[in-house]
Amino acid sequence: MIEFKDVSKTYPNGTKGLQHVNLKIEQGEFLAIIGLSGAGKSTLIRTINRMIDITDGQLMVDGVDVMTLKGKELRKFRRKIGMIFQSFNLVSRSTVIKNVLSSDVPDMPWYKTMFGIYSKEQKIKALEALDKVNILEKAYSRCDELSGGQQQRVALARTLNQNPSIILADEPVASLDPIIADIVMSDFARINKDLNISILINIHHVDLALKYATRVIGIRNGEIVYDGPTSEVTQEVLNLVYMGKAVPKSTDKIEIEGMVMNNG
Amino acid sequence: MAKKNRTPLFDRIFKPEHIVLDNGHTVDRPKSRTPLILVAFLIIVFISMQTTNFNLPRLISRIGQFPVILGQIFTPNLHYFDKVIPLLIETMKMSIVGTVVGCIIGLPLAILASSNINKNKPTLLICRFILSILRSIPTLIYATVFALIFNLGAFAGTAAIAIFTLSIVAKMLYEAIETIDMGPFEAMQSFGATTLQSFWTACMPQILPQYFDNCLYCFEMNVRASSILGYVGAGGLGILIRERTGYRQYHDLGTILLTLFVVVWAIDQLNNWIRSKLS
Amino acid sequence: MSEFVNNNILEKLRAEPKNLWKRLLVTAIVIAVVIWGSTSITYNGVTDKGATIAINIIKGILNPETATLFNLGPNGVPYLVLETMAIAVLGTVIGALLAVPVSFLASTNIVPKPVAMVFRALIMLIRTIPSLVWALVWVRVTGPGPFCGVVTQSVCSIGMISKMYITAIENLDTGVLESLDALGCNTFEKIRCGVIPQLMASFVSTAIYRFDINLKDATTLGIVGAGGIGFPLQEALGSGKWKRVGSFLLVLIIVVLVFEWISNQIRNRLARGRS
Repeated sequence: MIEFKDVSKTYPNGTKGLQHVNLKIEQGEFLAIIGLSGAGKSTLIRTINRMIDITDGQLMVDGVDVMTLKGKELRKFRRKIGMIFQSFNLVSRSTVIKNVLSSDVPDMPWYKTMFGIYSKEQKIKALEALDKVNILEKAYSRCDELSGGQQQRVALARTLNQNPSIILADEPVASLDPIIADIVMSDFARINKDLNISILINIHHVDLALKYATRVIGIRNGEIVYDGPTSEVTQEVLNLVYMGKAVPKSTDKIEIEGMVMNNG
Repeated sequence: MAKKNRTPLFDRIFKPEHIVLDNGHTVDRPKSRTPLILVAFLIIVFISMQTTNFNLPRLISRIGQFPVILGQIFTPNLHYFDKVIPLLIETMKMSIVGTVVGCIIGLPLAILASSNINKNKPTLLICRFILSILRSIPTLIYATVFALIFNLGAFAGTAAIAIFTLSIVAKMLYEAIETIDMGPFEAMQSFGATTLQSFWTACMPQILPQYFDNCLYCFEMNVRASSILGYVGAGGLGILIRERTGYRQYHDLGTILLTLFVVVWAIDQLNNWIRSKLS
Repeated sequence: MSEFVNNNILEKLRAEPKNLWKRLLVTAIVIAVVIWGSTSITYNGVTDKGATIAINIIKGILNPETATLFNLGPNGVPYLVLETMAIAVLGTVIGALLAVPVSFLASTNIVPKPVAMVFRALIMLIRTIPSLVWALVWVRVTGPGPFCGVVTQSVCSIGMISKMYITAIENLDTGVLESLDALGCNTFEKIRCGVIPQLMASFVSTAIYRFDINLKDATTLGIVGAGGIGFPLQEALGSGKWKRVGSFLLVLIIVVLVFEWISNQIRNRLARGRS
């Protein structure tokens, strides 16, 4: 369970990333976080595994106060939280399986890391992770030979290989075309159901968010303006998240209505 | 920001030309800096000529000597090869060991000097400062000093090459490290790897080709450089170069240079072959 | 656990490309070469006074001899630095000028291939012979002194500068020449308006880069009598005047670093244009 208690984040330059966020996320939820660019979506996700430090409030993950963690404890804590990035963040010159195996590195002795020696068990585990995202056949290809969608699935396999209980995904489908994005999202949904892993996704595609997530968080200027089940997301909610009440309906409206209609 | 937008001193002294077009639009044409640069350049050249006793007539009157010496160099004394080979091998050994040692020590220093990996400002700056200083001293001076500290011979030369190699390999490498994709590194951090583990697994594969390339480049350069270190007593071919030019035996010098030329050419070919294999 | 692994995965595991042997072989070759290399490089220990010398030189750098540093005569640091810099300036300027015809004659897009090959061989010859050896040859022609250093550096610089000029010449954008043709320009006008503007920045940039190298090189040419700070430094080392050695080295480090910084600034500006 992840619990935000009045969490705020102010960056050194004065930008307010998060303001008084209160949030409770149960194990196994599939959460989509929507909002404009710069609204604080990335900040929210990155505070959970403390890639970003919070400046106020308390953040509890599975009963641990994240801000009390240091050095080795923090790294051990991060082992059970997977993270997926918009730009995949794979070593493009390395093979697919080496990238997946890299998530085993933190638990390995230094000399094995140095020469890149992995045991048979580790290799089988990595191949199984690749199989779960249906990309087993590419195991020995170099990552730069793969398409964007395939690379994102490799990144997903890398995360699965660390057996996380939570997966944080920062715009995982933003650089993919709509069809591939849908496939990758369905991979997330399947993993969420089959393995009971909590998934938190930052996403711009409202239609995909509504199609796969069970719960939606709307964030604007670092504040949570909507928190509820997917079924209750209405046009008013989207207006609130994306434009604010004061802004009259403009050309943007067409786009957002279009997205909602896609879903329906 | 405000400082950057200020009118440069030059434009305040030499005011830009104000041009008004027929349609009333105006444009400021800054005065060309070329004349000023040219004058400064000519003054510098003039001072330099005074300081170095630049004397073209003397060069022309004595240039006849040059083809004579060159002619002797280009007719190498092939019997001298027997003397050249052992020292050539010593030169090669010095370059190989010096390059390998320098490249190995250069790697951790490069990591410490990369601003995207090492977030600790003081160690970063100290590391870069030391590298700059090491780089600013020519190999030949290292060799002279080391020949005094250690005994005369190949060890001093090898140490000189190693130090010089590490200073440039580290510089080329940290510049390369600073341009790599940090995404994989961030990903490794996100699943709990230490900085060193992250660097080794996520960044090393990205810089490895460049690293090997730099090492080969240094090796090539070091073979040339190490051939003269013997001149100051630090082992290798330089001893012969000193001795033969001292006796004005330019046929023998020709032999030494011919061997060096062939070896450098061969290493160049070998390096190109290795590079094509690596990529 | 492994009994439950499905066949697909085991099959894939067996299909893993095996290049372990190849890697071990390459590693073994490299290690063998290095071991062979280190056979004759024996550490004979430090000389009797080795440790003292090392400490004294470092002490000298940290606490230089002010008498040498501020002696304005021909044996003082200021004059020696000026002389060294003068050698580098003239060597670079003359070398950069001489490199222009050489590099045009070695560019395959300007002259026929056989001609280019001849000049490329010349460039490689110049590059292979160490500058110190060039100085040893020239010192017989010009006699000892800074003038010998200038001549040496002028010749040595041609090698590297030409190599970089050639790259610039072969990357010439011929589209500009075509458009000048269309405007009805003659050959001279084409060179003046189409070629020079394209090459100027990279030529100047190369020359400035070479100046850095020549400045460093000029500090050692004195060893064979070609002027500059090299000879007095060598002399101080030989006679054990460590404090003086320290002051020479300190100034040398500062001068080289300052000029490296300046040349980087200028070259960055040339690359990006004035802003």
